[in-house]
Amino acid sequence: MKVFSNDCTFDYSWEEVSTANWRKYCPWNDKSTHVIAVDTLSRSVDATTGILRTERLITCKQSAPKWLNSLMGGNETSHVYEISYVDPASKKVTMVSSNMTFSNILNVQETVVYKPASATQTRFEQQAKITALCGGWQKIKNAVEEASVTRFSENAKTGREGFEAVLEMSRRVFSEEKKKEQNIQSGQKMVA
Amino acid sequence: MSASLAPECNEVKERYDSCFLKWYSEKYLRGKGTEDECAPLFQNYKKCLAAVLKERGIDKMLEEAREDHKDSDSLNMRGK
Repeated sequence: MKVFSNDCTFDYSWEEVSTANWRKYCPWNDKSTHVIAVDTLSRSVDATTGILRTERLITCKQSAPKWLNSLMGGNETSHVYEISYVDPASKKVTMVSSNMTFSNILNVQETVVYKPASATQTRFEQQAKITALCGGWQKIKNAVEEASVTRFSENAKTGREGFEAVLEMSRRVFSEEKKKEQNIQSGQKMVA
Repeated sequence: MSASLAPECNEVKERYDSCFLKWYSEKYLRGKGTEDECAPLFQNYKKCLAAVLKERGIDKMLEEAREDHKDSDSLNMRGK
């Protein structure tokens, strides 16, 4: 098994980050081109804790290194299952996901946590456990794991860049909408 | 927001996603999210999606994935 971990800080409040998180793969993110669809499967709020639990299905399309093609049967589309928990009381978002496709070749389990670092910053912590399950020599398994860690790391980098673009756009759209509202209100006052 | 894996569901998905995002940022995060205002829109979207998931055999894969993640709730639903 190989472990990939990564953390960073976004200069946006936890509220902004946890909201933009739902749009991470919208068209404003032109970096994460490997994610082609995100579907919500279920959503519920726990009556006792107020925790929002969401299940999502993420569809990806990404070519693998050529030497892996025979293992993957030339299939470039894969699905990932994700459960996320938003705890607004403790300001924590936890996302747990794993691959559904190629599960006989590789198991990738990812955990992501978003927590406030300050009133205006949010900490992102990510960990992925990657295990090759394909048969064969240890050398092959190691190579599959290494290639997966490399690809995961590349996707994490573009994911971060793409998310920054979504955060910036979300803030801009929000402030433009607020200005519009204020103009309407002051316009109404003048008429009144 | 992002597209659906089923293009025929994109419209109902978009309506649900917009409703959810508004509810999430304006009500839920401010402690006022007790009512699920987007439930009817979600039902429309879910109905559309369920048909496609079944058609492509993804529903079976999901059952397995849920089974693999069955401990996740007890770990993460505890709250403060």
